[in-house]
Amino acid sequence: MAVIAMGMLFAACKNAPDNNASKTLEAIQGEEVAVLTDAPNVPPPITRTHATKVVVNLDVIEKVMKIGDSTDYSFWTFGGKVPGKFIRVREGDLVHFTLHNMPDSKVSHNIDLHAVSGPGGGAEVTNVAPGQSATFEFRALNPGLYVYHCATGPVGMHIANGMYGLILVEPKAGLEKVDKEYYIMQGDFYTKGKFDAGGLQDFDEEKAIAETPDYVLFNGKVRSSTGANAFPAKVGDKVRLFAGNGGPNLVSSFHVIGEIFDKVYMEAGTEVNHNVQTTLIPAGGASIVEMKMDVPGVYNIVDHSIFRAFNKGALAQIKVTGDKKPEIFNKLK
Amino acid sequence: MKFFLTTILVTVFFGGIFAQQKTVTSVKKMVVIPAGMYEPFFITKANKPLRVASFKMDETAVTNAEFLEFTKQNPKWRRSKVNRLFADSNYLRHWQSDTVIGIAHKNIYNSPVVNVSWFAAQAYCKWKGKRLPTVAEWEFAGNGKPLNSKYKSLTDFILEWYRKPNPPVLPNIKSTYKNQYNLFDMHGLVWEWTFNFNSFISKGDSRGSTADEQKAFCAAGSLDVKDRTDYAGFLRFSYRGSLKGNYCIANLGFRCAKDLK
Ligand SMILES: [Cu+2]
Repeated sequence: MAVIAMGMLFAACKNAPDNNASKTLEAIQGEEVAVLTDAPNVPPPITRTHATKVVVNLDVIEKVMKIGDSTDYSFWTFGGKVPGKFIRVREGDLVHFTLHNMPDSKVSHNIDLHAVSGPGGGAEVTNVAPGQSATFEFRALNPGLYVYHCATGPVGMHIANGMYGLILVEPKAGLEKVDKEYYIMQGDFYTKGKFDAGGLQDFDEEKAIAETPDYVLFNGKVRSSTGANAFPAKVGDKVRLFAGNGGPNLVSSFHVIGEIFDKVYMEAGTEVNHNVQTTLIPAGGASIVEMKMDVPGVYNIVDHSIFRAFNKGALAQIKVTGDKKPEIFNKLK
Repeated sequence: MKFFLTTILVTVFFGGIFAQQKTVTSVKKMVVIPAGMYEPFFITKANKPLRVASFKMDETAVTNAEFLEFTKQNPKWRRSKVNRLFADSNYLRHWQSDTVIGIAHKNIYNSPVVNVSWFAAQAYCKWKGKRLPTVAEWEFAGNGKPLNSKYKSLTDFILEWYRKPNPPVLPNIKSTYKNQYNLFDMHGLVWEWTFNFNSFISKGDSRGSTADEQKAFCAAGSLDVKDRTDYAGFLRFSYRGSLKGNYCIANLGFRCAKDLK
């Protein structure tokens, strides 16, 4: 349904006739295996000028990992981390997608990619038991940044356990060149114990249904991207964030303290807004934001529903190094 | 607790005997499950609450030692001979060979046999003059109240098991809990095959039946489920829905059932 709505959105407000799915499809030339990356890394920009067959192999891995410095959680993942592997393809590509559920998994899983035009976004054809694989193909018709997630019942539990990631369908002409690209994804987590309670924490379905998370996190862990793990940049760099929100419940008021987004691809579609302070990222949605880092220092990325940032973990950082720019920002006295 | 310890010691002891003799002479104990109502987790027009007639069920899952006897006496169900249509390439992969479980695996003689297909499980039960339990029978029996369990709810116990990765060596039968029907390990040891595991997907001959599957697995459909907080039941239905008859999976075993005479 989201896919259909998205498709209509594109059809309604599109400037480039290229996006029209009813036009003849581009010829597929050659084949390549997709480079997949863990957050905060992003695969390199696509320089191809033709459509190709892109082979994507994604493993479902259930594993215990740190959700906080002293707290463990049993995550269900696409590729071994939360969020799942970042997938980058070009508009028009034929994506040959294989989902493999590791033999040690306890439960079955599938994948719904919001970039797919087809029933269930792939979920119906990829319901895989432990040790099994499923393969399907889809055409990446609409450019944009899309969430993918597990849609096996109970869907909310699979998402709450970390089963989401992003797939970028780069427009044919590519995205404007920037100096740094990072992958960041928000998610809310529900545990029997309170925030940072320690030990191995179980999923709490009652809190999930009540939508009262103990954790709201960027990239799956408290302090995943702060201090030594802050995203590095230099003064003068243009930084692009591929920002997603897995949910399952909360909408993100995505904000970088001390910066203004020069560009926001609204809801990760083709329309660009300028000079934005805070942008909404729906659960199961994404945004592409760009900013030029003019002044050195540490910039906090937050969900500006601010208790989430300071009490539930929704905090990441960009660390900008380089010469001071007193003509832009200057401490007096 | 003492009950648990005793059963573990006993099973380890007998496991050792099996390891030496590699034969099973005892007859599998079955228990009588009383008649009752089974409320399907996912209710549709075709999938209504059912009355389950009284039946007999193996008190534990079928073990590696028991299944070994089956492969010895039924060569076509040996690993190297089995038809791939009836068991995929993972069939009995944890055994050393066709008819040897293996010295490295001597602790699993009395553990549930896994990596067996639906066809193999059904053939085993038939060989024993039994059959696989239906989903309704299995779920009704599986909902029996645990005895001697430290968990305050069965769902909590099951969910804790679901979130743990498979152990390197599968524990023996009777190592978890016994329920009100005197069944052991209905949850917490392995998943178990049922006779009609995919019936609510492929029931009937119309293509429309897949709509049930769609509804059950996709977000929109979960509104139809009986108890939306029964995440354990939901996970079991999703798991069954992902199976095919020739699949052999490392955490999937079975036990047999039988009609009352
Ligand atoms: Cu899943």
